[in-house]
Amino acid sequence: MKFYICIKMVPDVYAPLQIKEGELIMDADRMVLNAYDASAVEEALVLKEKHGGEVEVVCIGPAKASETIRKALAMGADRATHILASGDEEYDSASYAKILGAFFKDKEYDILALGKQSQDTDSGLTGSMVAEILDLPYTTNAVGLEVEGDQLVVKRQGDTGQEMIALPTPCAVTCSNDMNDPRIPNLKGIMASKRKPIDQVEISALGVDEASLTASTKVTSYEEKPARQAGKKYEGEAEEVARQVAQLLDTEANVL
Amino acid sequence: MSTILTYIAIADGKIKRSSLEVLSHCKSLADAAGHSVEAVVFDANASNYVDGIKQYGPSKIHVIEDPIFKNHMNAPLLKALANVMSQVNPAVFAFASTEGTKDVLGALAANQDAAVIADVSSFSLTNDGVEAKRPVMAAKIMANTSATADKVIVSVRSGSYDLNESPADSEVVNVDFSFDESTMKATLKEIISATGDTVDLNEAEAIVAAGRGIKDEDGKALIAELASILNAGIGASRALTESGVYDPSLQIGQTGKVVSPQLYIAVGISGAIQHVAGMANSKVIVAINKDPDAPIFEVADYGIVGDLYKVLPPFIEEIKKIKN
Repeated sequence: MKFYICIKMVPDVYAPLQIKEGELIMDADRMVLNAYDASAVEEALVLKEKHGGEVEVVCIGPAKASETIRKALAMGADRATHILASGDEEYDSASYAKILGAFFKDKEYDILALGKQSQDTDSGLTGSMVAEILDLPYTTNAVGLEVEGDQLVVKRQGDTGQEMIALPTPCAVTCSNDMNDPRIPNLKGIMASKRKPIDQVEISALGVDEASLTASTKVTSYEEKPARQAGKKYEGEAEEVARQVAQLLDTEANVL
Repeated sequence: MSTILTYIAIADGKIKRSSLEVLSHCKSLADAAGHSVEAVVFDANASNYVDGIKQYGPSKIHVIEDPIFKNHMNAPLLKALANVMSQVNPAVFAFASTEGTKDVLGALAANQDAAVIADVSSFSLTNDGVEAKRPVMAAKIMANTSATADKVIVSVRSGSYDLNESPADSEVVNVDFSFDESTMKATLKEIISATGDTVDLNEAEAIVAAGRGIKDEDGKALIAELASILNAGIGASRALTESGVYDPSLQIGQTGKVVSPQLYIAVGISGAIQHVAGMANSKVIVAINKDPDAPIFEVADYGIVGDLYKVLPPFIEEIKKIKN
């Protein structure tokens, strides 16, 4: 099986952040491999170990994203393509999907996997957009993948239960971080990653209409969340505080 | 005059409340701006729901009644949505955000060359599109997001708007639709449902959520009893769904379900940011945790510091008394 995994460099959501006059201020160096994409890489590596094949990662991003790509290679991916962006573009999900669609148009592969969303924006749109552009059967929010013959069997977390869906290849799937714990690259993996090939491609070389990449959605400003009123903590004898709070839920909060 | 179209989701033989919240909001936007609001419903028994939808005042209800919609599959859903969207040509197509919606939202936008904003907590119309607020960065901050396009697709988090009945004698349009199942490349092999008659978390008025503090069957029994007397849904933190103590469909948080019930009781949950991202919009939050420094207390209206095994029995008993 030939796997392509689309990965993205995203801000570390654990890093401190602040908002000044509607702008989001954070440490530009605190960039990481999107956690959902890391799960997609991990799952592909496990399937490759079982069934053979090749795992290639594809990343759209500025020069600095090569660190994110190295991380995936150090985990065990075989090779990478880095689609170079300046980092100043205001791309939205549709822009990324169009670039990926142009990149994959004439590629051969069995399984195209992506994280189900970016951990910074949580939009979760790009995966099904790419599938639609490439006319691939797909499913989203996978919590388990299995290769059975020439099919990919996906366990998908739906609204009320888990759906087992068989997809013929080639197909696309978006991955939840609930499917595995991505491996931490070891020293051997890190050393090996330095010898693995990274092809660099300019967006202009993909034959995508660059005017069509102009985002139709954009963030106009950021703001603090309306703060929750700090509540009250009740400490003391368990039975007493339990009954007291139960009473307050009835008389004060009026939610019983 | 433009049209705002809303998608009405059906689950377990009922209209999803979150869909009606979105319809209520769209109705008030349309009334204020002189637009019309229409609804679309797909189900094996879609016509059963028409009367319920009329209570919220759309001028038209587009109905596709087809057995293909018995279970969620993205290919027929996408085709039906694209058909209706092409016919109605709405300025805005609004959805309640569910796993079913998330499965097709991007594909529909690509198919229809529409702009799309997912998972918003509020939105309004502008001269050339839509303006929305959505939580980002693990729901630590809000991003004001605008979409500029002739067609904009929006999905809205459940609990963002109140229900507002405004009955109308809506015109019912039966949409021509056929889907040849044999052309479907993907096949649904099996649905592994969460056990029994659990309350749908997106719809629940109250939720009792269990975290790492729940160590055994006795703990689970206390959670079940509290949920039962409150008619509440049961949720769980990622720690407990990953370890298999609770079904994965019950996970609440950035990765799992995002909920906003009237009452959220977090039992033995420390309150990692990923969990808080999924429940911080609940109206009243109660936290029970033995660690007085647990971050869950920062978002809780009522925090009980104590051992949940000692706190829950009298808490349950007292609520029973109040309920009677």
